[in-house]
Amino acid sequence: MNDPLQQLIEAIKVGNRKIAATATQTALDSGSSGKEVLGALSEGMDDVGKRFKANEIFVPEVLVAARAMKKSMELLEPILVKSGIKPEHTLVIGTVKGDLHDIGKNLVAMMMKGANFNVIDLGTNLPAQTILDAAIEHKADLVGLSALLTTTMPAMRETVALMNKEPHPFKIIVGGAPITQDFADDIGADGFAIDAASTVELARTLVTSS
Amino acid sequence: MNQSSKKQSNGFNEMKAAPETLKYSVIACDVFKEELESLGGEKPPWSGIQYLEMGLHDQPDLLRKSISIALRKLEMNASIEAIVFVYGLCGTGLVGISPSRCPIIIPRAHDCVSILLGSPKRHSEILQKYPEAYFYSPGWVRGKRAPGPDREKHLRAFYTQRYGDDQELVDELLEADKESFAHHNCAAYVDLTQNEKAEDYCKSCAHSLGWKFRKLEGDPRLLHDLLYGPWDDKRFLIVQPGRSIALSTDSKVLREQ
Ligand code: B12
Repeated sequence: MNDPLQQLIEAIKVGNRKIAATATQTALDSGSSGKEVLGALSEGMDDVGKRFKANEIFVPEVLVAARAMKKSMELLEPILVKSGIKPEHTLVIGTVKGDLHDIGKNLVAMMMKGANFNVIDLGTNLPAQTILDAAIEHKADLVGLSALLTTTMPAMRETVALMNKEPHPFKIIVGGAPITQDFADDIGADGFAIDAASTVELARTLVTSS
Repeated sequence: MNQSSKKQSNGFNEMKAAPETLKYSVIACDVFKEELESLGGEKPPWSGIQYLEMGLHDQPDLLRKSISIALRKLEMNASIEAIVFVYGLCGTGLVGISPSRCPIIIPRAHDCVSILLGSPKRHSEILQKYPEAYFYSPGWVRGKRAPGPDREKHLRAFYTQRYGDDQELVDELLEADKESFAHHNCAAYVDLTQNEKAEDYCKSCAHSLGWKFRKLEGDPRLLHDLLYGPWDDKRFLIVQPGRSIALSTDSKVLREQ
């Protein structure tokens, strides 16, 4: 296990922050590109997500893995900035009113940062107007809404409705465990993604198609 | 009597009007044990309750699988004519469940919180009013699942068994669990059974977390009528054999498809 990228993947899987940091540094020092490091992070988190779905690990383990990923990203960010790859697109993201779940939303935000988006994370329990105001203020290309409760799906619908009342320059993407493509279509969102990795793909497609 | 005026073509009007002549069994989340024991009295009209573990709700797929297995088993008992589910939609845990022989009766509820508060409407109103509330009930307290000292003890024991040689990791996992409640600031206690012990425990959780304690009035009518009828369409969904439970994104919460 000398390959630092392999080491990084393993460190994410078990949520070891320290090894994640040293492996990231070693990988970068020995010439790995930012993209390769991101690939490793994504592979590690993907495995974590799968084991969570399969009931092998629980929420705290997912959170600890996410922290390790964050640690690695902190080392990566200055490298990305130095290499002159400036984020071209801005994502404003948050969890809708009444809903305090943010683990999935945070993962999406992190992956999107890694994919070189400028990410403005507004937090949780957000009134529709707050999200709309922030989208305008930050000149968002994308607005991401998260809901984990069927109880707050109506709040997601209202938020999209408020935004779609007036023409706007951004695309709206939605997600969270109870959300489906059908629901996204029904409420007038522009896209839905099932997890963080596919959110990156979706986001890229949406910003290049506009 | 709360009769639904809508004509139903499913032939279960009799069942709704007179569940007392019907032989039905109950599948319930273990979180409702206290409430069901108090509502059931000495001689409940249903034939048997099967409780499923409340922790299943963390994994909607597993919940769905476990309920489906329990349902199949009950349906093999030829004397059972219908099955009452003491569950809400529970995320999407109940979506896709389909009876093969017995109609299922399920309340239009998002989860146990809607059921204890009496309606999804009241649940939504309270959620919008106190978004930072974490709900407690006697069942949540017994299950050691709500944030507080019991959960911490339970989780530490679990992770020590799993990663015992790495205490640093165990500490970090517990810290992460705590962090996941950081947005909450209120323990909201809902009880239909005057369980003082559970209420006191909830107060002690609020105290140890630095949260407010708030007692919410429970409303037993939805749960009562789920168990005894009438099963009007406004508050209950009846899923016919061959059909399945689906999410309804309007105020009806559930539909069959
Ligand atoms: C962890 C958790 C909690 C934690 C939340 C911690 C936190 N900071 O987020 C705590 C314990 C605090 C909590 C609280 C509550 N919870 Co909770 N919780 C869960 C649980 C177990 C896991 C959610 C999770 O984090 N999954 C892991 C992440 C990685 O997955 P994810 O969120 O789905 O995100 C992925 C995708 O959906 C997608 N995605 C997510 N957001 C977005 C956004 C965009 C734009 C896109 C494109 C994609 C996307 O990408 C993500 C990454 O791959 C779920 C059950 C489940 N397994 O879903 C219940 C669940 C959501 N909770 C539930 C309940 C009932 C509650 C409480 C009401 C309990 C109570 N007694 O009070 C409170 C609600 C508080 C509130 N007002 O929000 C129910 C919801 C029922 C309902 N009404 O719909 C669930 C479904 C459990 C159940 N079956 O009953 N919960």
